[in-house]
Amino acid sequence: MRVLVTTLSIILAIVGLALSILPFGLIALIPIIAAFIFGLLALKLNHKEGKKTGFIKVIFAIIIFSLGFAIYNALKPNEIIADEETIEQQKIDDEETLEELEDLDIED
Amino acid sequence: MNRILFTFVLLISFSLTSQNNTIAAGEKLTFTASYNMSGLMTDLAQVTMETKEVKTSKATLLRLRCKAQTYSKWDNFFKIYDIYESYVSPKNLTPYLHKREINEGGYYKKMQYNFDKSSNKVKSVKTKRAKNGTFWNENKNLTIGSKTNDIVTTIYYIRNLDIHKAAIGSTDTFTILFDNEETQMKLTLLGKETITTKIGKKECYKLSVSLNKDVLSGENNNLLWLTADANKIPVYAKFKVPVGNGELKIQSATGLKH
Repeated sequence: MRVLVTTLSIILAIVGLALSILPFGLIALIPIIAAFIFGLLALKLNHKEGKKTGFIKVIFAIIIFSLGFAIYNALKPNEIIADEETIEQQKIDDEETLEELEDLDIED
Repeated sequence: MNRILFTFVLLISFSLTSQNNTIAAGEKLTFTASYNMSGLMTDLAQVTMETKEVKTSKATLLRLRCKAQTYSKWDNFFKIYDIYESYVSPKNLTPYLHKREINEGGYYKKMQYNFDKSSNKVKSVKTKRAKNGTFWNENKNLTIGSKTNDIVTTIYYIRNLDIHKAAIGSTDTFTILFDNEETQMKLTLLGKETITTKIGKKECYKLSVSLNKDVLSGENNNLLWLTADANKIPVYAKFKVPVGNGELKIQSATGLKH
């Protein structure tokens, strides 16, 4: 039971860490919270059976780091990067369109 | 008699206005597009709708440009840069030229329609990029219905409707030329609703949008809120596609006519 709970906790913590790095917003909180609950359970079972808790502490460290990263990413304002190449291409396209419009039969 | 009168009012109320009284050059609407991921809305892209006056030697036109661009945090995973634009008459929004350029995660496609509204003909050019990086064109001459427009013009046309005259539950159908095919879009007025947006608390017309294609799912799953004022700005939209659902929320609105 102790091994199963600890394994689930580490798997969920890693999934949470991966999702917190990726731009999926607050979805990362789902595995992070689940990892935290299993982590607490694992800690309790380790204490009960008199086992060392060093590995559980590492899991909690991953959870705290993931949580911080997920919150930082969620609070970071959305940005649009307009690269020079795209802007220049847009200018060229607009000029081409203007030439195409000149060729059209338009009633004013 | 009542039925005839009702049908008459319905047709009058939702018919396209011939004059453009809503859209002016210099208008800019900015939206955030979000997608539902495991029950949580995640901001994906910025969508802008801009109008600009364009002068040729023969005429003055209105450029209607809709642009969708992923936020920078997504660019390394799946970059989207789509531009949909139409060059229309500023008086009655008759389209002359429509361009649609999509860049989505390496996929590229460009569609161009040259409208000849007097003969209901469209010269279509489709450009795609092959796997080896070369571009190829497909030219077609299409015959369309007299009321068929491109997607961008239709969106702006909807804003120009006399919705205040329409009865709740009334519907209208628009024909859109999309991917060289005429597609029917049905719009139903569901009622009025006051919603809170980034540009303030707005009384809105709540409209249901449905297509005869599988792009949008369900009857009342795709909703659009237009402000119940002279500008009829789209402030909020909810949509359901076969792979999930999302929403479009207004962030700012500048250069409005009214």
